[in-house]
Amino acid sequence: MKDIVSVDHLRVEFATDGRTVVGVEDVSFTIAPGETLCVVGESGSGKSVTSLSLMRLVEFGGGTITAGSLNFERADGSTLDVAAAPSHVMGAVRGHEIGMIFQEPMTALNPVFTIERQLTDGLMLHKGLTQAAASARALELLQSVRIPEPERRLKQYPYELSGGMRQRVVIAMAMACDPKLLIADEPTTALDVTIQAEILALINRLKRENGMAVLFITHDMAVVAQMADRVVVMYRGRIVETGTVTQIFENPQEDYTKALLAAVPKLGEMKGKPAPEKMRLIGDEAARAAAAPAKARAPKVLLQVKNLTTRFPVKGGILRRTVAQVHAVEDVSFSLNVGETLALVGESGCGKSSCGRSILRLIEPTSGEVWIGGRDIRALDRTDLRRARADMQMVFQDPFASLNPYRRLKDQVAEPIQNFGLATGVELDALVLQLFDRVRLPRDFMNRYPHELSGGQRQRVAIARALAVNPKLIVADEAVSALDVSVQAQVLNLMMELQEDLGLSYLFISHDMAVVERVAHQVGVMYLGRIVEIGPRSAVFDSPQHPYTQSLLSAVPIADPRKRRFAEDLAFKPITSPIFPLGHQPAPSTYTEVTPGHFVLSL
Amino acid sequence: MTYVLNRLLSVILTLFLITLVTFAVTNILPGDVAMMIMGTQSNPEALAGLRQSLGLNDPILVQYAHWVGGLLSGDWGNSLIFKKPILELLSQKIVASAVLVVMSMGIALALAIPLGVWAAVHRDKWQDTVSSSSALLGVSLPDFFWGIVMILVFARWLGWFPSSGFVDPSLDFWGTLQHAFLPALALGLGLMAHLTRMTRSTMTGILSQEFIRVARAKGLTERTVIWRYALANAIGPVITIAGLQIGYLFGSIIVMESLFGYTGMGWLTYQALLNRDLPLIQDTVFVIAGVVMLTNLAVDLLYVVIDPRIRLG
Repeated sequence: MKDIVSVDHLRVEFATDGRTVVGVEDVSFTIAPGETLCVVGESGSGKSVTSLSLMRLVEFGGGTITAGSLNFERADGSTLDVAAAPSHVMGAVRGHEIGMIFQEPMTALNPVFTIERQLTDGLMLHKGLTQAAASARALELLQSVRIPEPERRLKQYPYELSGGMRQRVVIAMAMACDPKLLIADEPTTALDVTIQAEILALINRLKRENGMAVLFITHDMAVVAQMADRVVVMYRGRIVETGTVTQIFENPQEDYTKALLAAVPKLGEMKGKPAPEKMRLIGDEAARAAAAPAKARAPKVLLQVKNLTTRFPVKGGILRRTVAQVHAVEDVSFSLNVGETLALVGESGCGKSSCGRSILRLIEPTSGEVWIGGRDIRALDRTDLRRARADMQMVFQDPFASLNPYRRLKDQVAEPIQNFGLATGVELDALVLQLFDRVRLPRDFMNRYPHELSGGQRQRVAIARALAVNPKLIVADEAVSALDVSVQAQVLNLMMELQEDLGLSYLFISHDMAVVERVAHQVGVMYLGRIVEIGPRSAVFDSPQHPYTQSLLSAVPIADPRKRRFAEDLAFKPITSPIFPLGHQPAPSTYTEVTPGHFVLSL
Repeated sequence: MTYVLNRLLSVILTLFLITLVTFAVTNILPGDVAMMIMGTQSNPEALAGLRQSLGLNDPILVQYAHWVGGLLSGDWGNSLIFKKPILELLSQKIVASAVLVVMSMGIALALAIPLGVWAAVHRDKWQDTVSSSSALLGVSLPDFFWGIVMILVFARWLGWFPSSGFVDPSLDFWGTLQHAFLPALALGLGLMAHLTRMTRSTMTGILSQEFIRVARAKGLTERTVIWRYALANAIGPVITIAGLQIGYLFGSIIVMESLFGYTGMGWLTYQALLNRDLPLIQDTVFVIAGVVMLTNLAVDLLYVVIDPRIRLG
């Protein structure tokens, strides 16, 4: 059968400030009918530029296709070179013969138009349908993407739908005119893991039923393993390696592919291992990672949280009175040992971040106790709390937002030391120098500004700043989530190394189960503000007891093409609202101990 | 619905505060109403008698209550210089000014929206520079300057429009529009700058959003993408700014109406201030403040129509 797409020596250039930057260069691949081709790469690899070129949308971002051809097999059997097609022909191809799904379901729909209008305008344009016929087809589409109550959804506006439902609408829009090719650009990156599983299963089913080809762009090797027939690995605008999914995963040829795959944690690979292990890295980092032996410590409690509850008011009415409360953290208790990592996992809105912030009193908890090293944090006044913060530091998700863009990095690392009056003058300079060495940043970075660094380097600065005051506890809130996988592995290894050397305790807040499996000693699974299951990592991962933990683990994609999980339609129970009327007194959290240290919330 | 009630409640509260401030300010102003009526050379006894009958000897709170009571019951007092009931005077003048304000805002929006959209679509290209420099020119020069230019070019040299005066719309509506056009154009040029910038920056933000890319990926034409998908989202903030500018506009019409001899609210305010006609000043200021308030209320309610998130949220 003839290929639907054949890209040949594509080159895209961007003009910025009078300079020309090459976006992608010498990119060639083909897609056969009914095939899923995954283009995988880290940020800046040119994978999105490639997909946008196929739609000729790249020109709206300032790019120009300067060489190569992009041949697309049209529905009437003719071949169209997208690179040279006049724009009115592209208008007829876009959304008609090629459909596209984007990354951000929250912003992919026009907020001021109804779902119906956004579904029907393409149908009326491309298929010449009447309003009534288009509306009927729109309803059919919503049914095919399995949205609950499709009739009602048509009349709704995007803000009334959840992220998962919006992504289903975007998919319905892309599928509206029965395209021969579906381009999915990071379609599940912004979604929670259970919704990701549902969307991946949906794309698989639609592909099977309609026989269309799929070009799937992603940075996530686990998603590639689950979805791809063939894989194109890209790096810095060029193709590194192409092959079938099993070839790429089991017998990669290029060093870059090998390194990329090594850095990806695979869920389930820690089975039977007693302690956390460093991430695999290829090259000089690997030797260092292997060299450090895990030290055994007698367990000693650092952080003790008892019945912690945090509620936020929901204001309403003319007088802006509190009309309801968000139960963000609800009766949470746990303890964290010196030199250990407790991971709090859960999907967005489960209360894991609020829990971390409540412990540091960055937000005031409603009730409960927090003890750090024998001190009751909730009983401290402002002055004492400020002093106590030296013991407990935080690393946030977005290192660019948490660093001041106008100050030199050395000043930002020195700031907490000065705040607590720990050192001055030459001594201060020496300390800052040590911290830069500690997080393995070159010393000449000290005089630079945040924008001159990459994401991983910035996160190292954020860690150096947290370390500056010799804390005992670091709350890392999605600290590696925004980083590329190889950089993520390096930063995780740095954190584990610091733990061994300095005896740090981490409260590791994350949505990424595969990462948590590698780094955590203890794991707490949060759902609707409560910990539903907590215990040693091996107990929680190997024999999950609570139904929510089980569904969460079953939704995680595994970076192994022989362990595919998303063939059939999936429907996970949607998370209910944590908003309750005033005066609602929820039942206390009671737990059953299934094995020593492994507690499950009683249903 | 709660939103609308909320807004109405805040309008009533603000109007009450406006009466307080207006009353306080006009009472601090030097000048004596009785003296204004009878002249500086008048008999002190007659003056005292008039004071008594006007209630000027009453405690200040009683005077305030009297004034507000009058406002509510439709007895707005008499103008000292025009020797007419103020309510009658105002109701004539406000029509003239409404024509002017609506026309100048219409001109400003009709110029600013296309110019701003054009600049946003061709961001950082020559079109953008042309648009922002012409907008800057509009705002850098005071609007009475534009008024003088208009009079010179369109009235004096070309003779297309009358240079001054006002015609009652019930007599000759076309004449009203002709007389209002030049001052409206001069005011519109001054207003245009902010609106152009607002349109440009809002549109720039919206054009970079994902739903615009999705709209293009659906194969919609650029015209639909820009004038339907994007502008529907940009129009809200632009209208908000336009509403706020109505207040600024009422300041500007004082100068512009006097320049063009256009007998509206602005001209009336100027006459009242010039002649220390305290009752008239009090009532005009209250009316202008009230109109500004109500315009902003109208804008907020319009927002409800445009944006479903406010309508249903």
